[in-house]
Amino acid sequence: MSLFPEERQSELKELFFETAAELLQALNEEALSLEHRPGDAELVREVRRTVHTLKGDSAACGFEELSSLAHDLEDVLTPELARTNGRKLAEIVLAAADVFSSMLDAYRGEAPIPSAAPIREQIRQLVARPEPKNIVPYKLSGRFAWTEYEQIAIERAQNQGQNIYNIALAVDPTCPMKSAAMQLVKNVLCQLGDLLATFPDSSIPAEQIDVMEFAVASSQPQDVFTTKCRIPSIISDVLVETASFAQSVQQEPAIHVHEDPGDVLGIADPNAEASETSASGVSQSTSVKLRVDAERIDAVLNLVGELVIGKSMLMQNISEFDKRFQKDPLRTRFVDALAFQARVLNDLQKSVMKIRMVPVEQLFRRFPRIVRDVAKTCGKEVVLQLSGEETDLDKSILDTLAEPLSHLVRNSVDHGIETSEQRVAAGKTPQGRIRLNAFHQGNQIVIECSDDGAGIDRYKLVSKAVEKGIITRDEAERISDTEALHLIFHPGLSTADEVTAISGRGVGMDIVKSVIEQLKGTISIDSKPGAGTTFLLKVPLTLAIIKALMFRVSDRLYAIPLASVLEIARASASDVHRVDQHEVMQLRDQVLTLIRMGQLVNRGPLPVNKKIFVVVITVADRKFGLIVDRLVGEEELVIKALHDQLAATEFVSGASILGDGSVVLILNLPAIVARLGKAPALMEAVTA
Amino acid sequence: MAKDLQLVGFRIGKETFGVPIGLVHEIVRVPEITAVPDVPDYIEGVINLRGKIISVIDLRKRFGETRIEATRKNRILVAEIDKKLVGLIVDAASEVIRLPQDEIEAPPEVFEENEVKYVTGVGKLNGRLVILIDLTKILQQGELRRLGDLAVAATA
Repeated sequence: MSLFPEERQSELKELFFETAAELLQALNEEALSLEHRPGDAELVREVRRTVHTLKGDSAACGFEELSSLAHDLEDVLTPELARTNGRKLAEIVLAAADVFSSMLDAYRGEAPIPSAAPIREQIRQLVARPEPKNIVPYKLSGRFAWTEYEQIAIERAQNQGQNIYNIALAVDPTCPMKSAAMQLVKNVLCQLGDLLATFPDSSIPAEQIDVMEFAVASSQPQDVFTTKCRIPSIISDVLVETASFAQSVQQEPAIHVHEDPGDVLGIADPNAEASETSASGVSQSTSVKLRVDAERIDAVLNLVGELVIGKSMLMQNISEFDKRFQKDPLRTRFVDALAFQARVLNDLQKSVMKIRMVPVEQLFRRFPRIVRDVAKTCGKEVVLQLSGEETDLDKSILDTLAEPLSHLVRNSVDHGIETSEQRVAAGKTPQGRIRLNAFHQGNQIVIECSDDGAGIDRYKLVSKAVEKGIITRDEAERISDTEALHLIFHPGLSTADEVTAISGRGVGMDIVKSVIEQLKGTISIDSKPGAGTTFLLKVPLTLAIIKALMFRVSDRLYAIPLASVLEIARASASDVHRVDQHEVMQLRDQVLTLIRMGQLVNRGPLPVNKKIFVVVITVADRKFGLIVDRLVGEEELVIKALHDQLAATEFVSGASILGDGSVVLILNLPAIVARLGKAPALMEAVTA
Repeated sequence: MAKDLQLVGFRIGKETFGVPIGLVHEIVRVPEITAVPDVPDYIEGVINLRGKIISVIDLRKRFGETRIEATRKNRILVAEIDKKLVGLIVDAASEVIRLPQDEIEAPPEVFEENEVKYVTGVGKLNGRLVILIDLTKILQQGELRRLGDLAVAATA
């Protein structure tokens, strides 16, 4: 079966899996558009092209089951069937996409190939259905995307002052000999003027032609073409327009459909273009793209990280040198060289980071399908709005976000959005609206997932929490709104009355929270009864380098992400009060739960200092004060993971090497707050 | 004749231990160690080994030594355990021991059912005992039996 040596073969397969995933994504998007515009012949052709590519690629890798199903699917992807059975067709394509996807998984994991029988049956039924007798000619629209060569010819003719007509002809579907039809039309056009461009070319089998396009230079008036071309039982529709090539000349000539071939990932709306891009656009695109193993980029990034450490080592030594040899002329030269090096290093770091950055759109594009499926299962009408897709984000973070975000979106559709009847009764539009938005905020990216549904029932949530013994009845009475909403992240808690296949088992939201925390991000909720719920996910742009605040506790040095620090306050021991075994402090009009970081060093009684530093941090919408001995300062830290080390603890999210070669630990604030600031849940309510 | 076994020998308290030389990447002086909170007592913390961060465990504490002295002879054995680099603090380490295979005896049957069986053999070298240990076992959970008893059992 193999034409290639073993190694080459596996490489080829790997490549296939990658492109196949893109093709499937495109297929999903196309099918969704098809669902909205069932009769769109052009769209059907696009779907067919995608399926065709998939068929060819999979056959090349020897995945026969997949390629044969793709082949069958291709058979039903005709404009005729789209016109008569558009919705059904979209349904089948979506179902087939799922089958393809599970087949791919099976190939990859060398598991048994799932059966394609049910989907084949659907396809067979669709083909077998007798076509309606009177075929309504669909609305003809010309694309007139000529090849570069043809365009030059057209331009030349235009410069000579000739009229250029673009002519699109719909071939009558009942026409028996389409190749003859083409020839016939060509003859007619040649009589009327100079034929400059023809589409399709001879590479496409004549039987598959349903639209022909021509560019003709002629002195005849426009309506002559319309009448002359309308050949009964061969041509069913004619479209003639005067060509203006002013803008089409600028277009990328070789690519037919999409307008912006340079932007391989650019699909603002989940319409047709995207599919074409991933199906054929990549190979034709003029800008060169490389597929690079993420590991290789990481290796470069690692080295850059080492350089950053090297830089701070140099800095430290130079300042030492400065003190010792203040008059030495070498000093300024060192400083200059160092400044230059620092600048280049900064640029290098940014460039490498940029390589890893991908637009959020790659994450968002899976959601139209998810929303459609979930909405359909729940019998709801939901519109998904996407914005901020162009926002860049580190690829690894983006991949990690996929799961929690899809939990949130599913939840919004299943629990957030009400049924159409309920919505109308509440005076809202019957269609629910879910919005995904992304934007940058400082060193973080914010992803917003909001719905205009019923909102979270705070009281139900609290009473469920009491019922499950998560909080006591006492606590429930004093709980603040924010804390009540955050109960939703508690494992095993769900407000859904019944468990559905989509959600309601209470798993999911706690995953969302733990993944976000693992990314050193935060999640916050805003929910108004009857008006909807908004989740805000904030995660750092990159995991490799963070700005950190460093402080000392006894003799130990620790760092925390600067992004979680709100302010730093000075206080004296007398400001600290004890409430319910917790130390608190009043900061302006707020009561702050305090955590003595000294507990990290030893668990015995802690020394009481007269003057203390309180670092005010925020974790999951709540504020805490960390009592530290001494502040050291801010620094950019290159994070090295500790989690696979022996000395791993949930208190520490990573470590970094400082300029003097010593190691500083970066603390994991959510874990510290959870364990050392235990159960301060009701503090605000008590003292407020 | 059987091949000689090449070991890195190191000392903890009075005993001499040996680990296969292939597992030991290097032996370094004890640098400043950054303590990590919330980890078992014998895990000392992390060090910077030329830009790499590695965990360090105090093998003496792991073996339950009570008298731990910080001396200039102390060393960190950087060994590869389960594909990870780990630093092991020992009282002293300097020698490479060549031990003929037939000088190695099976470990004494002194381990209880639930104990970590970390000794792979006991070698005799010029009248000295060298305890051969399996480093992966060292990292497993559970108490390690005091060593003095072992040596006694082996000679008995």
